[in-house]
This record gives sequence, C-alpha cells and structure tokens, in this order.
Amino acid sequence: MASLSEEVLLVVKKVRQRKQDGTLYLMAERIAWGPEGKDRFTVSHLYADIRCQKISPDGKAKIQLQLILHTGESTTFHFSNESSALKDRDAAKELLQQLLPKFKKKANKELEEKNRMLQEDPVLFQLYKDLVVSQVISADEFWANRLGDMNNSDPTPYNNKQDVGISGAFLADIRPQTDGCNGLRYNLTADIIESIFRTYPAVKQKYGENVPHNLTEKEFWTRFFQSHYFHRDRINTGTQDIFSECAKQDEKGLKSMVVQGVKNPLVDLLSLEDKTLDEGYGVSTTTPSTSNANRTVKESSNAAIIKRFNHHSAMVLAAGSRKGETPTDQASETSSTDGNSRDSDFFQPPVRLQEAIEYEDLQRENRLKTVALNLKKSDRYAHGPVPLQSQHYTTSQDIINSVNHIRHEMVNYKPNLTQVLSSTAASSAITALSPGGVLMMTGTQQAINQMIPTEVQGELKHLYAAAGELLRHFWSCFPVNSPFLEEKLTGHLEEMLQTAYSKFHVWQTRRMLRKT
Amino acid sequence: FSAEDEINLLVIVVDVNPIWWGQQAQREPELTLSKCLDAVMVLGNSHMAMTRTNKLAVIASHCQDSHFLYPNKNWRGGDNGGEDASSSGDGKYELLSVANNLIAEEIRNVMTKKVEGRQTFLLSSLIMLSNWHGVSYRYLLMLPFLFSVGQEIKSRILVVKAAEDCARQYMNFMNVIFAAQKQNILIDACVLDSDSGLLQQACDITGGLYLKIPQKIALAQYLLWVFLPDSEQRSQLVLPPPAHVDYRAACFCHRNLIEIGYVCSVCLSIFCNFSPICTTCETAFKIQLPQMVKPKKKKLKQST
Repeated sequence: MASLSEEVLLVVKKVRQRKQDGTLYLMAERIAWGPEGKDRFTVSHLYADIRCQKISPDGKAKIQLQLILHTGESTTFHFSNESSALKDRDAAKELLQQLLPKFKKKANKELEEKNRMLQEDPVLFQLYKDLVVSQVISADEFWANRLGDMNNSDPTPYNNKQDVGISGAFLADIRPQTDGCNGLRYNLTADIIESIFRTYPAVKQKYGENVPHNLTEKEFWTRFFQSHYFHRDRINTGTQDIFSECAKQDEKGLKSMVVQGVKNPLVDLLSLEDKTLDEGYGVSTTTPSTSNANRTVKESSNAAIIKRFNHHSAMVLAAGSRKGETPTDQASETSSTDGNSRDSDFFQPPVRLQEAIEYEDLQRENRLKTVALNLKKSDRYAHGPVPLQSQHYTTSQDIINSVNHIRHEMVNYKPNLTQVLSSTAASSAITALSPGGVLMMTGTQQAINQMIPTEVQGELKHLYAAAGELLRHFWSCFPVNSPFLEEKLTGHLEEMLQTAYSKFHVWQTRRMLRKT
Repeated sequence: FSAEDEINLLVIVVDVNPIWWGQQAQREPELTLSKCLDAVMVLGNSHMAMTRTNKLAVIASHCQDSHFLYPNKNWRGGDNGGEDASSSGDGKYELLSVANNLIAEEIRNVMTKKVEGRQTFLLSSLIMLSNWHGVSYRYLLMLPFLFSVGQEIKSRILVVKAAEDCARQYMNFMNVIFAAQKQNILIDACVLDSDSGLLQQACDITGGLYLKIPQKIALAQYLLWVFLPDSEQRSQLVLPPPAHVDYRAACFCHRNLIEIGYVCSVCLSIFCNFSPICTTCETAFKIQLPQMVKPKKKKLKQST
C-alpha cells in the first residue's frame, strides 16, 4: 500500500479526517492520509479515481477539502492547523489542480459513455439488468459490440472540439492596476499569453530565444510591457529593446499585406475615400500629401495608431485562420508573419449573393448514374396470388346451353318482391347470424393479450429480449474460424444458455404458483 | 352540417355472369338470377327507404363489361318519375318503383343482348371484377359534381359475387382497392359460391365485411342483416367477425402460395427455390458456401 519509494510532493500536517488528527500526503500518483502517530495510510486514492475536488467557501470557519471519486464516494479533509490552515488547504488544492488533469484516464470517458447509453435507452437498460446483473453474460461481452470502436479507432468524434478563437481585445483586457506606489500591475493569464503568442509569432520567437536562458518569464513580460512596442506610440524605439526587431518585422508585414491587397472582387478598397460634397460636409481643404514633412505631429500619430489597429486586427484574423498549425513548426510561422490568411486565394462569394444569382432549375441536373432494371418476364408481376388450380371444365355445348337458358329466363323478368324470402329461410339465416351461430364462431376467440395481465406480458417481453440477445451472441460466433470462437460456442455460450434457461424456468414456476 | 345533409351512397355490383347463372339454374333451381336480382332490389329499396338522402346505384357485371342498371340513361331524375306509365299502382314510394322498373328493364336488355361473335367466353367461369369496379369508381368520383356543393358523400360498394376470380385482373384490382382505401370507400362482399381471395383482401384493406353465405335462398335476409347498415351503424351491431385473410404470396415459378421463399433483391420477384440466376431480371447471385477445411499436412520429422 504505502511504499516509501513513491515521490512525496506535499505533506500537510494537522489534517483531520473523520474527526481524527493526521497527516495528508500528496504523492506522485495518489493522495493519502494517515492518522497521527501511525505509519500506515488509512485513506488512499489514486488521482485517476478522483473525479473532482471541492473546497469549502472562504467565509466558513471550517477549512475543508473534499474529494469526489468516480464511484460517487467522497472523502473530506479538515485542515485544522490554527495558523496555516488556509494556506495548507490552498497549497493542497493547487497541487491537486495540476495533478488531476494528468491522470484523467480515457476509461472514465468510457464509463460516462456507457452510463449515458443506459440512461437514454430503457430497453438497453432492461437488457443490461436482465443479463449482466443476473450474471448470465459478463459486462465486457455485453459492451463488446455496443461501444463501437471507442478504443481502437481514432477518437476524432469525441475530440471534435473547436479551437478557441482569439479575442480581438485581448491586449486591451490586460487592464493595468496601479500598484499603490507609482507602479503598474499587469495581470497576465495563460489565455492572454497564448493569444499574444498566436497573434504575434515574432513575440513568441523572442520568448523562445530569451526565456529561460537570458530572462525569466517575469522579466520578459516586464520588458514587453515596458517596451514601446507595446505602447500605442511607437515613435521612439530604442535599439536596446529586444522588441525593436519585432516592430520592424511588423512594419514589413504590414507593407506586404498592403501590397497583396484584398482578393475579394466584391470589395474595392482602393476606391474608398472621403468624398466631399461641399464645405461643411467633411471637406478637407488640403489634399493629404504623402511626404512626412507636411504632416502635423497629430496627424502622424493618428496615422500610426490607425496603422497599428489595422495591423493588430489583421494579425488576429490571420492567427484565427492559422489553426491546426503545430507550435514547433517554425518554418510555417515565419512564412505567415505577414498576417495574410492562407486561403485568401480561394474566394467564395457570400451566400446571399450566390442564392440571388443561381437558379436551381436552370442548372444542369446532376443525377446519379443509375442502372436500368432489365426485366424479361414482367407479366409475372401482374399475376395475382391466385394459385393455378384446375378450373372446372366446361364444354362449349354447356356454355351455349347456359347462355340460352339465362336469356330465356331473363327475357320476361319481372321483379316479384313479395316472394323474395320464405320465413323458414329467413329464420335459419338469422340463427346463423346470431351469436353462437354458424357464421359467428370465430368471433368468440379472445385475443391472447387480453387474457394475460400486463405485468406478466412485460416480464415475458423482457425475457424474450434477453433471449434474443443471447442468440445474437450465438450467431455472431459463426463462421467458426478460430479456436477461440469454437471454445466460446461449446463452453461459454452453453453455460450462458443454461443459465438463461434455468432463469426462465424459475420465472415460469413462480408465475404458475401465483396462478394457483 | 347535420346528419341529414350527409349522403350515403350504396353501389351494388351484381355478378350476372350468364355461364355461371345458367349452370346454377340447372344445379340448384331455388336461387335463380331472377331471385337474386329480386333480393338485390329489396336491399336497394330498403337502403333508399332508410333515409331520404340515401342514394343507390346498381351495376351489373357481365363477362367482358359492365352496365349501370340504375341510374341509367332512361332515368330522368326524381321529378319526372310520376309520369312514367309503368309506375306500379300499389302506392309504393315513387322513387322505389321507378328504380325497380329501371333495373328490371335494363337487366332484360343486358341479358338478352345478342352475344357478339368475337366475345369469347372463357372455358372457366370468370368474373372481370376490375372492369365494373372501374366504372363504379368513376361514378363515385363524379358524384361531388352531381350534387350541390356542401354535401358530403359517403359511399360504399357491395359486391355480390357468384363466379370465380380472374387472376389476370389482379393488378387492376389491387389498384382499385388502394384507391378505394384512400378515398375511404368501403368494399363489402357477399359471396355465393366460391371464396375469393381478392375480395377478402379488398374487404380487409378497406374495412368492409366479407361474407360467404351458407344458404343461397336466404340471400335477401343476409343482405338486409349484414349489408344494409352503413359503417357507422355497424360499430353498434354484432356482425360476423372478419375472416382470416390469406396474404401469402405466390411464387413466380409455380404460382404456389408460399410462406417462406427467396426474393430477388434487384427485381423483387419471389421464388420458392433458390436458383443462382433470377429468371426475371437475369441477375446472378453468389452465395458463400462454407469454407472447406484443408487437411493440415504433417511436417516430416527431420532425422538428425
């Protein structure tokens, strides 16, 4: 159980569990607790078995940490060190937070999947109860065919997570807080760091180069925020700044983006300009010149900001469409630092326009190629299910006689409606039609499902379904082309069928007893 | 909308196959065609007498074709019925007497018509159900235009069958049955002689009653008891239970009725025995035979 060769990551003294004082040990693969003075652990849980952890809210007097296992059990630890209980608990929680995700086995996913399937399908659940709970089939065999290939095939159906996009405002979200004494405090989370790296691969490159050789992470980010690269005015970039290169690269990238232009034929960016109507309608009296000397300071700083905004947006978009790229792929990173999306060459007109310009019935029909049915004797279908019996043979003389007879009879036909029915005939007909009569016999049979109570019917249905499942296992063993299947057929299945049969027998006798 | 506005139409289709009836007259003289027609007339009169808005149609089915006995081209509608010279003097409801006279007259015409040379009577007594079913069905379709708008017509067909089925009309017949089912038209059958699988199916599918009567002379009684009430009233009455219908298919090779057979997956033709090539569409089928287990060759022991 407790092997001293396991690496102990954290020891917390004065932790109570079930009103007993003890020590909590967090090791490489499990968490354990032993009572005070004793050498062994009374409580030990593998990280893989722990589903989640919970902590008591901050205001409460008792500082507790609860572990909830996959099986539903829970264990509570009460940190009772007067001075450092909260710190201890938080330290334990942090460590657990880092360790637990590593140990989440795939098997838990399977269990969840199984539970979900059982909950969703009551028939399956009933089958499971009948066969596995009563030990006719082992659980593994039951799930063998049902889970599909969760373990073998690629787990893409379950990992169809979408990549998280980059918020355009991620830089703005790092709101600096004043530190009290003329300093600024920037709160960097892992998400923001990731966003920065994805949007500005140049920064990532710098990070890779400098950390941890030259600078610590903290120093890197401090420099980053201090550098003018980050600030909105990039007028003065000292050559000492490690980020000056980034600024130059950004300029280059921006220029190349402008050169490439936008490949959307529906958008003509170049014709966008301020059109003036008259004075007072947004008139600019002087045409803007491109030489730097004529620009005012304000104009040039505005232009710089706008340039930075555009560049930032372009980088965010590019980073979003660059998904699927591995972080270590340096070559592709450098090739797309210009920020253009890769698939800008392939232009698709927006859906609205496409709907407006295309008419379904004017397009060529793309029918699947079909093979015509080739029937040689199609008159066979017209023949009804009337068996070819030997018909009565009638000679042509008979026919002629019959026809003449009828003609003779009907030539003077006059309806005689008062002599249609004799009373004896009528009464015998009525007898035949009354309940119990000749014609009414078949009606007295009651449907069998009205004679048997519904619960018996239900039980019988479950038994029938279970029997069907066993038969399915039986038939799946064929063709017998391996000794394993042969053994399964003769040994294992035989046993299963015997168990099932005896179960049915028990049910039958029980039902019969109840009747009598 | 009240129950009075609803029109109930009863179409009686009578099998007047002359061969069968001629032979029947010699076999069992108690029920002749005349008597049969009398019974049918009684049923028709009763139906019309039940409610003022009930309508009747009578069709005679001959060997090769069928004729409307009532209403026919001599029928001028209800108003002129009184002018008919042949109205009976017994105070009968005019509509009924007019109907009876028309039916009698027309059936006389039908049965005494010279049979044309080219009409071949089949050696076995056959009945061409589909022909007059087609006629009556068309009649039923025309009805909404004959009456004023706003009147609902519920119709049903009663077939009085004497002779045997004709297998060649199977497809037409099935089409008529399904069309009737879609239009909620009941098909009832009163069978005099031999059971008819087609009519059994028709009654089962459309929800009508199939009855093979044990005593032919009491035909009128059976008709009145079983087939006079319409579908709504039948739910309140104790009537003969539906017969078990044989829905088995017939194999294409022998026309035997089979329960288990082989069906070609391409053309859906049914066979009673397996054959590697379907004879209808000439598709070849392969069936995996069980693998032969090769005997293992024993390795010769190498002598050292």
